[in-house]
Amino acid sequence: MTSDRARVLAWQIAILVAIVAAWEFLTGIKAISKTPGLYWIDPFFISRPSQIVQRFLHLASPSVRLSIWAMAWSTVQSTLWGFLVGITTGFVAGLVLGRSQRLALICSPFIVAFNSLPRIALVPLITMIFGFGLLAKIVLAWSIVFFIVFFNTFQGARSVDADLIHSARFLGASEGQIMRSVIIPSTLAWTFASLTPSISFALIGVVVGEFIGGESGGGLGYLIIQSLGTLNAADMMVALVVLGIIGIVMALGIRQVEARLLRWRPEYQRR
Amino acid sequence: MTGGRVRIAIRDLEKTFVEGSREVAAVTGVSLDILAGEFVALVGPSGCGKSTILNMIGALVPPSGGRVLVDGAPVVDRAPREVGYVFQKDTVFPWRTVAANVALGLEYRGVPAPERAARVREAIALAGLQGFEEAFPATLSGGMRQRVALLRSLVVDPEILLMDEPFGALDTHTKLTLHAELLALWEAKHQTVVFVTHDLSEAITLADRVVVMTRRPGRVKRVYDIRLPRPRDVIRLRETEEYARQYSEIWHALGDEFARSDMGQLIGEPQPKARRADT
Repeated sequence: MTSDRARVLAWQIAILVAIVAAWEFLTGIKAISKTPGLYWIDPFFISRPSQIVQRFLHLASPSVRLSIWAMAWSTVQSTLWGFLVGITTGFVAGLVLGRSQRLALICSPFIVAFNSLPRIALVPLITMIFGFGLLAKIVLAWSIVFFIVFFNTFQGARSVDADLIHSARFLGASEGQIMRSVIIPSTLAWTFASLTPSISFALIGVVVGEFIGGESGGGLGYLIIQSLGTLNAADMMVALVVLGIIGIVMALGIRQVEARLLRWRPEYQRR
Repeated sequence: MTGGRVRIAIRDLEKTFVEGSREVAAVTGVSLDILAGEFVALVGPSGCGKSTILNMIGALVPPSGGRVLVDGAPVVDRAPREVGYVFQKDTVFPWRTVAANVALGLEYRGVPAPERAARVREAIALAGLQGFEEAFPATLSGGMRQRVALLRSLVVDPEILLMDEPFGALDTHTKLTLHAELLALWEAKHQTVVFVTHDLSEAITLADRVVVMTRRPGRVKRVYDIRLPRPRDVIRLRETEEYARQYSEIWHALGDEFARSDMGQLIGEPQPKARRADT
């Protein structure tokens, strides 16, 4: 079991090293041509690992005005806020509409309409309203997360097992107690299932917001757009790598939270 | 064992379901008195409305006609507090541990935590579920889950217990074990029990009276007194002559209904369609 896992890990590391090494090596080969400075695979477009590390160290040093740490923190902060506000509001709205047939019927065309709208099209408007700071990015992330959580919660709230409600009632539960002890826990199982997609979509929303958010909003999306302006592939790669790491860490964190909250589910039972 | 006091009075109870454009009578003209401390079993072919009667006693389904009185008061909208209900389906809350499930009723009734813990511990010991207090239902067998559901209903000391085929999904061995446990618990408190089943041996093993229902639309065909001495040994009981005699007597009446309900299907008499969840 353990040796199996070690073997898998060894393979994974080997593949990673091979890719990085090939990248470094292939982008170093000059093309045989009369024109000087031509490469087989041009590092101008995809940079080189050594350059990326160099740029990363530079961006991480305290000498730069806007360090990579500050940008990463801005992105993480906005993502977490958008995520938290999104799941809270999405959960409440899903629960209320899921338990009220009439309200759901009234609201459904508005919800469908708003959700069909490509959220990226809203970025300029959101920026106009909320300015170039953190807030616009949070609102954008929220506008995506809200619907993911809302639809899941809504479905969950509607499919609460009626017999569980009846049995609670026979045990003497008031309507409020039924809400707290049956409907909410049963619905939460559905809501939790939407957490993993929510965090990645929150990150997408934030980065898109940062693309046009300008320097005051900061963030890794800003670094990417800046690098496009200066045709600096190395900086762009730095931003991408850091974003990737942020995405992985957040997804793993959510998975931990989910396993803890849903520990009663058969698939999370440790035998 | 009975005080002779009528606990549940069922009067001319009717239930008609609307299925599409047709009305289907599920229960017609059922009248029955159930005495305090009595264990009554309702048996009949499937679709005879026995569960519907139970649901009307428990106020889960409103009657189309007639009424149900518990201690002389008509049951409307909500069952009285002293009524407990054990469902056929697994209704243990999957997100709560065994102990937390058993504690539910006490929590709802505002029993303070220390007393709650003590009563839950006692109940769990009584049902032989020690060691499983912190287990989640997903890790338990069907029999254990149903035991938790039964315990959860009993821990709040209901005077009236409605049971809808609670052991229907269990294997014979588990069933017998739970019969013994249920009888032991019942001997201690003598709750008034209405037990719905299609298993005649289960009905005779447990009940003081067995009510045989006709096929749909359900009426009371006949009521049989079960004169088997208590306390009963669920295994030995089946070897006694009295058990065999009563079984064959009731089986005869019940068999008629089973056969007739099957015939109905063969002849092509309009049968209510299986109800499906709308999508």
